[in-house]
Amino acid sequence: MSAAKRVQQWATFARTWHIFDCKWQDPYQSAEVIKKYLMGLHKPIYHSMNDCGDVVVCINSREIALRGNDWRQRAYFHHTGYPGGATWTLAWEVHNKDPTMIIKKAVYKAMRGNLQRRHTMQRLLIYPGEEIPEDIIQNVSNQIRQLRLVPTRLDHISEEEVKKFPKVMDYPQDYVLK
Amino acid sequence: MAFVRRFTPLLAKTFLNIPINTQGRRIHRWVSPTLIELKYREKKQGGKVINPRNTFLEWNLEAELYAFGKRLNEEFDSDLLLQAFTDRSYVIKEEMKQKEMEFDLKMKDNRELVKEGEKFMEEYIQLYLEAVLPKFPVEGIVGIKNHLMSESVLANISLHLGTKDIILAAEYPVERQILANTFKALVGALLQSSGDEQSGHFVRDFVITQLQGQDVNDYWHIEDPWTMLTDLMSKTGSELEPRLIGEVGKNTLLACYRVGLYLDKKMLSSGFGETVATAKEMAAREALKKIFATEENMYPINFKLNGIPKSTSDLRYKISAN
Amino acid sequence: MVFLTVANWIRARGPDEFWRKRRIFRLAAHYTGRRRNCYSVAVRNVHRALAYATKARKLKKEDMKVLWDTRITAACEQHNITAFSLREGLGRADIMLDRKSLSDLAAWEPKTFHCLAAVAKEKLNLDNFIDGTDKKEPTGINLNLKDVMLEAWLKEKK
Repeated sequence: MSAAKRVQQWATFARTWHIFDCKWQDPYQSAEVIKKYLMGLHKPIYHSMNDCGDVVVCINSREIALRGNDWRQRAYFHHTGYPGGATWTLAWEVHNKDPTMIIKKAVYKAMRGNLQRRHTMQRLLIYPGEEIPEDIIQNVSNQIRQLRLVPTRLDHISEEEVKKFPKVMDYPQDYVLK
Repeated sequence: MAFVRRFTPLLAKTFLNIPINTQGRRIHRWVSPTLIELKYREKKQGGKVINPRNTFLEWNLEAELYAFGKRLNEEFDSDLLLQAFTDRSYVIKEEMKQKEMEFDLKMKDNRELVKEGEKFMEEYIQLYLEAVLPKFPVEGIVGIKNHLMSESVLANISLHLGTKDIILAAEYPVERQILANTFKALVGALLQSSGDEQSGHFVRDFVITQLQGQDVNDYWHIEDPWTMLTDLMSKTGSELEPRLIGEVGKNTLLACYRVGLYLDKKMLSSGFGETVATAKEMAAREALKKIFATEENMYPINFKLNGIPKSTSDLRYKISAN
Repeated sequence: MVFLTVANWIRARGPDEFWRKRRIFRLAAHYTGRRRNCYSVAVRNVHRALAYATKARKLKKEDMKVLWDTRITAACEQHNITAFSLREGLGRADIMLDRKSLSDLAAWEPKTFHCLAAVAKEKLNLDNFIDGTDKKEPTGINLNLKDVMLEAWLKEKK
């Protein structure tokens, strides 16, 4: 292969590092998007035997938002293999023990159950907060858009902006709010 | 019985291909013993003996030479054609034989024709390539010319033209050097028989067409494209700036960098690479290809130019000033 | 002297079994163990392999279709259009490209594919066809479309 072709091949199959902020996202909905990038389904050169998947770094996995009553009702099953080793753990317990497990299980479930699944899961890196090791941040070059809108909390807006914002009316000074 | 047969020389399983649809759709019982016997005799002989065509019964050298000329739609002078196919080794062998028989028949060999043909081919190919790749520098053209005139390429062409059986040489099968020389001698003979233009068309149709589908840049190895590019740009006096456009996986083994070259703030080319240095070198190579008009999406080489092209060497780049 | 009875003692034996078995062994050359050395084991496996090959002719076509669809969907996403819209738009514009051509273009000629996506989107806009799943962002290409019918009519009028 000439140098130009070799370099073209290298660039085509280069593995991109994506970052995804899981704050206030539904893990099962975002798992669909994450799995696409992990398996390489977002590339027109996709083939299951091609090893064209990318790396995804998930941050803020502690701030995940499950739907409805799932925190209290959703249970995760685990069997150690030994007799009497079956456990059903609720979502909030799992999350307290290990904040990365829920999103990891969600992505694992979203993928097809073939032999490539375990290998592809190794490309997924999950961090519970905003602290990521230096060398991993330096590799990242793309951010995946969040699916659910993340509004700013009212108490997180600075005082100057609150004062600047135009008011239509204001309560009189001696008004008492019940 | 079948057990015994299986352990005798495994001729059938190795390379003999017996067609399945023999008469009656079965392979008869006598096939295997016959093949065993043939193999035994071949082994006794000491391997397969390939006889040259000219030892067969119906060989007629005059007819073959005439047919050869007609096949190529070219008019050869018959004496020159015979001389072109006679190799020096054959002449030596004949003279040795004739000494014993006290017989004197002068056979001319093809050395002068080879020299003439080679000289003509070199000039013609140089002129043709210069006409077809106008912006390619002299070193590059010389590189392509050396590849086209190399022994392997010419031997391949001459083999497929059918000279293998007509060549008069000491040994059979003929060596590649002799095949290549015969092709040059043919060009020499054609030059003397039909003239410049016909020989030019012959060389164009058989030798230059070997470039079809090949990347012309492969035949010229540029050691340092960056210095070459800067030298070229310094003559015109424009500003050349390399910049890192993209990078992926910086700390991994599979890192990929993209470097873009900007000429006077406008993008000239971009190159990818495992390291920044490689990417910069590839970007420089792409830029050079753009300047020489030999990119991947260039117009295919024109193989239909007629006549002998005129020389345009003074308008060409020469990379080494000395 | 003529011996007529000798001819009666000659029996025409059947064809050599070596060649019949060789046909099977050549197909089983890449198997392991007894499956490539013993005839009765090899024959069973070779027959199964041939049956699989027959059934797989149809499956291969299905697999290729799925792969092409995946690739086209991936490429469409890069240009903010759904595969359904692309097919609809190209169909309405009389561009008859099948899945194979589209996926090849998407992989090897990305700029051409971008233009095709732009054409499909523009055609659907002109037809006032609304697909809810399409993203609102436009494709990047500016198609300088001319109203061919209008120009022809104006020419005629003159």
